[in-house]
Amino acid sequence: MKYYEFGDKTGRYVGRTEKYDVYASTLAGIGKDEDDHEERTPGEIYFNYGPSAGGLRESVNFSILTPGEAIRDVIINSGFKRRNIRITGDSISDVMLKVERINGFHSASHSIAYALAVEDALNVDNSDLNDARIVEIELERIRSNIDVIKGLCESAGFAVPEKQLLLLREEVARIISTAFGHRYYFSVNGINSVDGDFSRITLNSVEKQFRSLYDGLLSSKIFLDRIQENGIVSDPLSTGPAARAANFRYDARLDSGSLNYGKYSTVMESSGDTFSRFLVRAEEILESINIIESYDIKKIYRKNRMELNGSGEGTARIESPAGDLFYYVKINEGRIMDIQMSSPSYLNMRNFRYALKNGNIFTDFFFVWESFGIWISELEVRFQ
Amino acid sequence: MGKLRHLDIGTGGEVSVNWFINGVKKRIKTEKLDKYNLMYPSILEGVSDYNCPTEAINNGKWNMDKCIFCRQCDLNPTGKQDTYSIDQKIPGIFKKSLYLYPVDSGTCGACNVEFTTLFSPQYDSSRFKIFMANTPRHADALVVMGVHTEGMEQILREAYDAMPEPKIVIGLGACALSGGIIGRSAMEKYDIRIAGCPPTPASILNAIIEARGKK
Repeated sequence: MKYYEFGDKTGRYVGRTEKYDVYASTLAGIGKDEDDHEERTPGEIYFNYGPSAGGLRESVNFSILTPGEAIRDVIINSGFKRRNIRITGDSISDVMLKVERINGFHSASHSIAYALAVEDALNVDNSDLNDARIVEIELERIRSNIDVIKGLCESAGFAVPEKQLLLLREEVARIISTAFGHRYYFSVNGINSVDGDFSRITLNSVEKQFRSLYDGLLSSKIFLDRIQENGIVSDPLSTGPAARAANFRYDARLDSGSLNYGKYSTVMESSGDTFSRFLVRAEEILESINIIESYDIKKIYRKNRMELNGSGEGTARIESPAGDLFYYVKINEGRIMDIQMSSPSYLNMRNFRYALKNGNIFTDFFFVWESFGIWISELEVRFQ
Repeated sequence: MGKLRHLDIGTGGEVSVNWFINGVKKRIKTEKLDKYNLMYPSILEGVSDYNCPTEAINNGKWNMDKCIFCRQCDLNPTGKQDTYSIDQKIPGIFKKSLYLYPVDSGTCGACNVEFTTLFSPQYDSSRFKIFMANTPRHADALVVMGVHTEGMEQILREAYDAMPEPKIVIGLGACALSGGIIGRSAMEKYDIRIAGCPPTPASILNAIIEARGKK
């Protein structure tokens, strides 16, 4: 393991796998959770929402503690759609097919993080693919951030920008499909290999359209009023755009050795509210376009189907669109014996709750929820 | 990093966008369903003796319900966006309006995103009189996505029971139909089976339009 070791906590907290608490460079035993849910007082009710309801893209249940309008606390049950995925004893390439489907919308991030962990375990030199993998992840980030901002517009009943962002999301999906043969990067990434025609990635139109929409949203006072000073959270145990929106310079592009971004500047905000998360997501779309254009890759990569038979342990941590994504793998003669994955949705879900109970009312719910970009699919996976 | 542009907000002079005019100026973006084609997923042709991990190839025969379109076998993609089969036609009563209620049994999220893409300007499902319901009480068709999960089994059954008659069930994607590479199918029987991992928006709309029949 080049970048991680087992031991005490060191550096910032990144997330949790089934067995470990993950820090910047160590894997520690799971610490004790403090249950600090608010007590129900006379006159208050638990209002149930989900697990299957209009407005929820994935299955998740919220029990909202309320005296009527204010949200005092929320109990989140995300376990309804928990998937048990069998990986023990499977080949490295068969497990890749499953890893891609942990979070289909962030499949490039998951498949690349898994590939990097396997390459770390087997001491495979992957430096040739560094730039191509960064381009893939940044393109995925553009689509994901567009989707989050679309969700905010939908919550505000802002139908025109919502539909225009939906149109833009689909245009990015088509760029991904044209370059990589699949709208969700399935079967694109392998161990020390990528399959794609990077010369097909052109983002001029996307940038122009997004800048116009972004400027429009920034001048829409009704929209800004809805997202300013709601869902405020500023907690050092945070990740991704939500952390950067609260002035924590947490970014695996800066402090992880798994991918080398070279000189890179992080987008930061300080208020920690939904508006700040919106700004960070929007600015990161433009930053990701800059990163992709700076690499200017025109190469066609073809996948090699190499079978690997080595043994070892490896780790990788990358910045997925929602924050730190960590993988640990244990391999025995080409067979996966253990996977530990920590997704950004773990910390984002925790902070969503803190943000929601921080002086919000029912109508704020969707703004806060959408602003974190949480995926239950990556949160509720158990490997067997 | 330079100065963020939002810092100029409130300094005066900014003009608020009229979103209605903005929308009209963008003109119509809706497309014909065959305008945008892709190879994966699409109907596959040919013969392969590949040892398929989802058993989508059995004795040389291709079973699209089980296929995750992983591009490992020798079958050739045709680009045809009709990766579906119809066991039961949609009742005539729904010819002028069909409300869909999606249930996520255990997805990776890709099917969910493709389902929402039906309502994008490019696909605009409302022109085909296809809409989304916010509750199973108002739904004509249940759209099931993802593999079987213990936690969603009862929710799925309750959603189906809550729907008024007549009703149909649509299986969306390899996980719902066969379990794909992840698990087992979410339901035993579907009226419309739309294959793909995930199915394309065009394929989903083609399936519903064909199952509903001509006007």
